Amino acid sequence: MGNSGHWTEEVTVREIPRARLVAMSWLVLALVVVGVAAWEWKMRTVGLVVGDLDDSKAQWAVERRKIAAGHFDDVVLVGSSRILFDTNLDVFEEVSGRRPIQLALAGTNPRPILTAFANDPGFRSLVIVDVTPDIYFGDWLGIPEFSGVVDYWKVQSPSERFGNEVGIFLSRQLAFLDSDYTLPKLIDQLDVPNRGDIVRPYLSVWKVWETNDDRQTYLWSGIERNERLRQHARTVWGPFDGAPMDPKAIDRAIQESVEAVRKIRAHGGEVVFIRPPSAGLYYEHEQRAAPRGKTWDRLLRETGAFGIHFEDYPEMRALDVPEWSHLSRDSAKAFTRAYAQVLMKEVPRLHEPPRRKS
Amino acid sequence: MVFNSLTFLVFFVVLLVLHHLPFLSWRAKKVNLLIASYVFYAAWNPPFILLLWASTIVDWFIARGIYGARDKSRAVRRSWLVISVAVNIGFIGFFKYGEFLLQNWQALMSTFGIVYVPPEWNIVLPVGISFYTFVTMSYTLDVYLGRARPIPSFLNYALFVTFFPHLVAGPIVRPTQLVPQFDEPKQANRSQLLWGLGLMILGLFEKVVIADGGLSSAADSVFAAEKPVGFWDAWLGTLAFSGQIFCDFAGYSTIAVGAALCLGFGLPDNFRMPYAAIGFSDFWRRWHISLSTWLRDYLYIPLGGNRGTEVRTYVNLMLTMLLGGLWHGARWTFVVWGGLHGLYLAVERWIRDRTGIAGDPVHWFNRLTLVLVTYLLVNITWVFFRAHSFEGAARMLSGMVGLAPDAEPLLPTIYMIKVAVLVTAIVATHWWMRDRELERVVSRTPWWVTGLAAAAMLFAVIVTQGSGTAFIYFQF
Repeated sequence: MGNSGHWTEEVTVREIPRARLVAMSWLVLALVVVGVAAWEWKMRTVGLVVGDLDDSKAQWAVERRKIAAGHFDDVVLVGSSRILFDTNLDVFEEVSGRRPIQLALAGTNPRPILTAFANDPGFRSLVIVDVTPDIYFGDWLGIPEFSGVVDYWKVQSPSERFGNEVGIFLSRQLAFLDSDYTLPKLIDQLDVPNRGDIVRPYLSVWKVWETNDDRQTYLWSGIERNERLRQHARTVWGPFDGAPMDPKAIDRAIQESVEAVRKIRAHGGEVVFIRPPSAGLYYEHEQRAAPRGKTWDRLLRETGAFGIHFEDYPEMRALDVPEWSHLSRDSAKAFTRAYAQVLMKEVPRLHEPPRRKS
Repeated sequence: MVFNSLTFLVFFVVLLVLHHLPFLSWRAKKVNLLIASYVFYAAWNPPFILLLWASTIVDWFIARGIYGARDKSRAVRRSWLVISVAVNIGFIGFFKYGEFLLQNWQALMSTFGIVYVPPEWNIVLPVGISFYTFVTMSYTLDVYLGRARPIPSFLNYALFVTFFPHLVAGPIVRPTQLVPQFDEPKQANRSQLLWGLGLMILGLFEKVVIADGGLSSAADSVFAAEKPVGFWDAWLGTLAFSGQIFCDFAGYSTIAVGAALCLGFGLPDNFRMPYAAIGFSDFWRRWHISLSTWLRDYLYIPLGGNRGTEVRTYVNLMLTMLLGGLWHGARWTFVVWGGLHGLYLAVERWIRDRTGIAGDPVHWFNRLTLVLVTYLLVNITWVFFRAHSFEGAARMLSGMVGLAPDAEPLLPTIYMIKVAVLVTAIVATHWWMRDRELERVVSRTPWWVTGLAAAAMLFAVIVTQGSGTAFIYFQF
């Protein structure tokens, strides 16, 4: 027996290959440096940029904690991708003197987040809720990547929090670190013939946004520049068949909203709804699938909340919507300026001191 | 934290530097390793470190109690052992099987017409509890069985239990394999460090590129289906999972071995090309070796092993595999998975006993045929392992035997291509490496060829990026 009190004949001793490990390591290092540099160059040529931080639950959690800590200006944005891409936080702050917390999530129904605020008695801020008709008035909750996001900021592990910080640091140095341009996603984007009516990975959502600090998000410049990418995005948002949405789902959505608005107001908060612009076949589809009278107008009437519909404001109607669902970067600034000015006129509490809990 | 995360990258670099500082004493370095291991564990969910401490401390005192009672009656020593087993199994039972037991109790009561509504169960499963519990139990059992004396140093003992490379997903190390390595100063030499890093690249490649990037989407798509699954989809989904589970778990073990080697320590192999196994006793000598040997030494042999009657041997075999199945998770499908493996082992034993066949066939074609038959049968078991319900498993098996000819296609062509290419490559690699050691192969291969392969793997890991997906075995 050894000093440890155990027999030592079973002690694990790893064999080391008799090979030129040092030379091998230098070769690996050199090839990987050259390979990564070439990959980085290639990714920059397709439009990826340094500082694009990749949106994720972890990024959302960073913003959500600002509310929990009371470090914010009393305005919160929730919604799907439209309010996320179409709001310029700097412009909003310039107009209103307040910088909103951006909690909208692409491809996600905002109602669970709205309900979570409604169920938090300490929440007494202004919530601006994006209404993208075919998401807001449906039962679909969102893409799997963001499932469980409502509570994630409370249960996120220290390891994940630290990893997110390291990821942000690296994203500020390297453009290729983008979850939409990973090797598996690029392979899945090959358009090969399929059996039957299979939903092809080719028709999954490719990169459409770019995220910076504070989750300031824009429609990716690649969509604005590249006709193929723009057409692909339009195809993915379809089909634009105009099939009417389930009336019962619409009832549930409105009832849930009524309850949420009531609770938030009872705590001292306020809710405003906003319908950002859409265009082309997507807009026509929405007109038929979720007619304004049966959805938007009813939502405002039953909740008693104020709302901004882009159709009602000429300055919001003549904007550039490259892939029919989100505004171009310049138009997002114009839209933000327009709707922030409306809010300053119509929402008195924006002229009052913040009511957030300290 | 998980090995395939940026957090681990930073953690490991800092630890490597600390461990190789020339002015720190060996004791200080061991304290560093212990603290780092606790940080490694707590970085997932800090409160659960209390469980790890409890398991560590209980077995420390109980092993000493057992050894102190060595001159007393067997009943006294056994009492100590019962306390250890009760505490350890109690922890696992509560956290891992609590909800399962309540659900089954509810089902049992309902068969007698009694309505029982179990309380809502919101207990989080502490990561790695099945692994570190088996590690601490092996220590106490070794002392009880007279294979070892209690470890004199609490620091060495705590480090043995907690050493981060094996802590949350194995290999399930034995005291004899690791504890003596803490007696003398250990620091990796240049070759150990470089080879350790090489193993980590290989493990990351398996996990990030093949398991997560290449195969998970196909397996997930098919096993998530709630409608009939056709022949090709069922088979390709199952084959994809066979590759995914191997690359995920073997990848973890390879990274663990590599990380320990970078620090100067040796951990045992956990996999040896299992998809080239000829028969099931061979499979279990190659798959999750540290678990199969644990079950053999601490369950199968104490049950009597093959020392009793033939029937008793089969019963022992089946009990061991059923419990091995249940170890993986609180679902009856895992028990069936273990039971199928038990059945395969029993049938193989019966055939060998009746025919007197020993050893592998001489001709390569016969060997290859048996390898493929074994792999095929292993895939049947993976259906129960991966499916979350018997309905799901039945859906898959129906498809695999052609009973769902009208099922709508599920897998896109690109997924089918990925599965075909990657699974063929995995099985072919296992076949070629069946009787070879990686270290020997690298020794004989021109250095620049190995360098090219390692560079390609590391580059693929970097451009795959990975999302820090947890390893499948973390949930066990």
